[in-house]
Amino acid sequence: MGEHAKTPVGILGGGRWGLALACAVARNGHPTLLHSRRAERPDALAPEVAVTSELGALARHSRLLLMAVPSDVVREVARALGDVVDGAHLIVHGIRGLSGEGLTPISEVLREETPCRRVGALGGPALADDLIEGRASVLAVASRYPEVTDAVRAALQGPLMRVSVSHDLVGLEWSSALNGALFVALGYARAIGVPPALLGGFLTRGLHEAARIAVAAGAEERSLFGVAGVGDLLAAMSQDDRPECQLGAALANGATLAEAQARSALRVEAATLVPRVVAFAREHRVDATIFATMEAVFSGRVSRDDVLSGLMQRR
Amino acid sequence: MAEAAPIFHFNDERSFIVEEVVARVAQGARDPLLLLNDAAWCEIRRLEARPGKERAEYERFRELARSIGRLSESERRRRVEEVARHYAKDIAGNFDPRVYALSTKVLPTALSLLLSPKDLTLGLRAKGRLREHLVTQGPVERIRALSRRGTVIFAPTHLSNLDSVVFGFALDREGLPPATYGAGKNLFTNPFLSYFMQNLGAYRVDRRIRHDLYKEVLKTYSSVLIERGYHSLFFPGGTRSRSGIVEEKLKLGLLGTGVEGFVHSLRRSHPQRVFVVPATINYMLTLEASTLIADYLAEVGRNRYIIEDDESTRVERVVTLVRKLVMTTGSVVIRFGEPMDPFTNRVLDDGRSVDHRGRTVDPATYVTRDGQPVLDEARDAQYTRELGEAICRSYARETVLLASHLVAGAAFGKLRDQFPGEDLFKLLRHRDEVFVPSDELERRVDDLVGRAAALEDRGGIVLGPGVRGAPASAVIDAAARAWSGYHTNAVLRPAQGGVVLGDTNLLLYYQNRLAVSGLGFHPGRRSK
Repeated sequence: MGEHAKTPVGILGGGRWGLALACAVARNGHPTLLHSRRAERPDALAPEVAVTSELGALARHSRLLLMAVPSDVVREVARALGDVVDGAHLIVHGIRGLSGEGLTPISEVLREETPCRRVGALGGPALADDLIEGRASVLAVASRYPEVTDAVRAALQGPLMRVSVSHDLVGLEWSSALNGALFVALGYARAIGVPPALLGGFLTRGLHEAARIAVAAGAEERSLFGVAGVGDLLAAMSQDDRPECQLGAALANGATLAEAQARSALRVEAATLVPRVVAFAREHRVDATIFATMEAVFSGRVSRDDVLSGLMQRR
Repeated sequence: MAEAAPIFHFNDERSFIVEEVVARVAQGARDPLLLLNDAAWCEIRRLEARPGKERAEYERFRELARSIGRLSESERRRRVEEVARHYAKDIAGNFDPRVYALSTKVLPTALSLLLSPKDLTLGLRAKGRLREHLVTQGPVERIRALSRRGTVIFAPTHLSNLDSVVFGFALDREGLPPATYGAGKNLFTNPFLSYFMQNLGAYRVDRRIRHDLYKEVLKTYSSVLIERGYHSLFFPGGTRSRSGIVEEKLKLGLLGTGVEGFVHSLRRSHPQRVFVVPATINYMLTLEASTLIADYLAEVGRNRYIIEDDESTRVERVVTLVRKLVMTTGSVVIRFGEPMDPFTNRVLDDGRSVDHRGRTVDPATYVTRDGQPVLDEARDAQYTRELGEAICRSYARETVLLASHLVAGAAFGKLRDQFPGEDLFKLLRHRDEVFVPSDELERRVDDLVGRAAALEDRGGIVLGPGVRGAPASAVIDAAARAWSGYHTNAVLRPAQGGVVLGDTNLLLYYQNRLAVSGLGFHPGRRSK
């Protein structure tokens, strides 16, 4: 890596993930401005991070904007952001999910709602707490514009952070979103006592299904086997506190979807995503047994015994 | 109006433009040694097969290849300039306003007269008829306004060798300025055509030359023209669509000169706005249909494609075609799409770019870094890729379905239903086998037109003049009349109480216009 000037970076979103990104960027010595709609300054925030509640100030502060808002408000936030940015801004989101019935990647939403062309996405196994507490971790970034991945790498790469770069934006976004669903399956499978060997088998199958689905959506297959794909999944094997895993475990223990959702710490995308993914796979004639099983679990149509025997059967 | 276009002063600027191209190519050469060696290697290989008339050229490159290793860096740079100048001069055309005026007046009359002998004494009427048969649609008014505010790049679909003539005629008729375009050098070998093309601002592209230095000169030439305000015409598909399918993927080389020209112009005292106008050219009959589809099938099918007869590969004559076209109103439709800037933003009448949400955007912000407009190869390649995608989306929306496409679609649907599960090449071998009763064909046409109309209501396609609301029998008649006697093999053969599907290749060709929209079969997509 060459010498990078310390360029200003703007972060959008006062939640845990926004906070985490702000800490990671500030740790590398970049002037960091965090936009938050909350009035009080969060305790965990590094002292060198400035906070604003004004989008215009954020847009003037920096060309590179990292967006970490909940997926259900992303369109609304992007539209407001669109009023203050121009073609010079680079917007990179760190949102796991696909938007709406049409499974639109979040980067597409950014393109629709802002005049920005140079957009990208963050993914990979790093958890918010890793970044806040300064544990070594790894992130993935993808953009069709090398300028964007260069800027993100300059902002985040450091002694405690490895940034893995890809140009396959669609691949990263689909892979992240589908992983979110696989985490739920992982939590569920562990809770019903699936032995490790079988768990390995199921996850591999899930990953292959995810790969075929993502390829049908225009991703490159190998992206599913990179840091934002299989890397993400491998890390989840030992991240018990992932909200998606907790949701899966709650379902396995007999909770309804609504109960499980209420118990989980964060909003879990998977519940709305999975039925849409299953429909998408059907339309594109892609086998998606694991995802279809999950859909059945969400709707409460099957018992844990059904799930296990169903998965053991050969298609 | 149109006479204010820069092309009318091209000859005064010609040598200046050539020198600008040479300077820029030489400046941009990262490794002159490699560039020259690649040029010499390609040219020697190409020319040694049959040097013939180009003996001198061959010797020049042989000499270059031999001496190149011994040259100093500055001498190499000088040689790059020399070769670039040689090519730039060869590429640059001429523009003669008198020839332009003559050709725009004479051409339509000549075309009509040539083909419609009974109108020989009534030139005016013939011209009037061509006017009727060539329909222009789209935001012409806005494009006219934009052509006074910046450089317009016309980017039409490409089906036939007639495209540039027909498109040029449409521009003139709509009061739009002439556009310069690159034409294959082979077309310049005909002295008559060459005289016109040269003097109409066409520049010469030698498709046989494949090396980077030549491509660089060509792109730079286009970029310099764009930044100096010369309206340009690109066929971004590269070559004529062999299959008849509307372009889904474009060649980005020349298209990229739109962004490049824009960035360069920002550095000048009079920044030049650049507007891209996609357009579709839609023919009831395509001049070269039989040969094009045969090429396509041979390429895609390889060992599965069995050549049926050599008759169909015979080149049809232009005369029959134009006579046919003149007989049917609306048999050629040129439809302009919404103009956009090189970053795919919509453009308003006053030249302002606006984003999806209608907010004004300054296009310069996409290429400015620290207050300066900069070129960035990787970034601009991506902008161009996205521009290409936007143009293809426009093509799909603005495709005009004429009777021949719809009837072929209905007939081909019957063929597929008759032999479910058969692969394309097996399917095509059922020539003169399938009988379709008239009422069934009408039902199928009705159904297809209904689906197309629904898609048109959602802005996904365009039905040709007079198709909506017409009885199916009239649509079928129009297609049958167009086909009969034009293609060597009958497309639909009349039979007792119906028709027999004749030339299945041509049915595929004409129905392929429906492929991208999903209204018809798509030979390149996995069937669902």
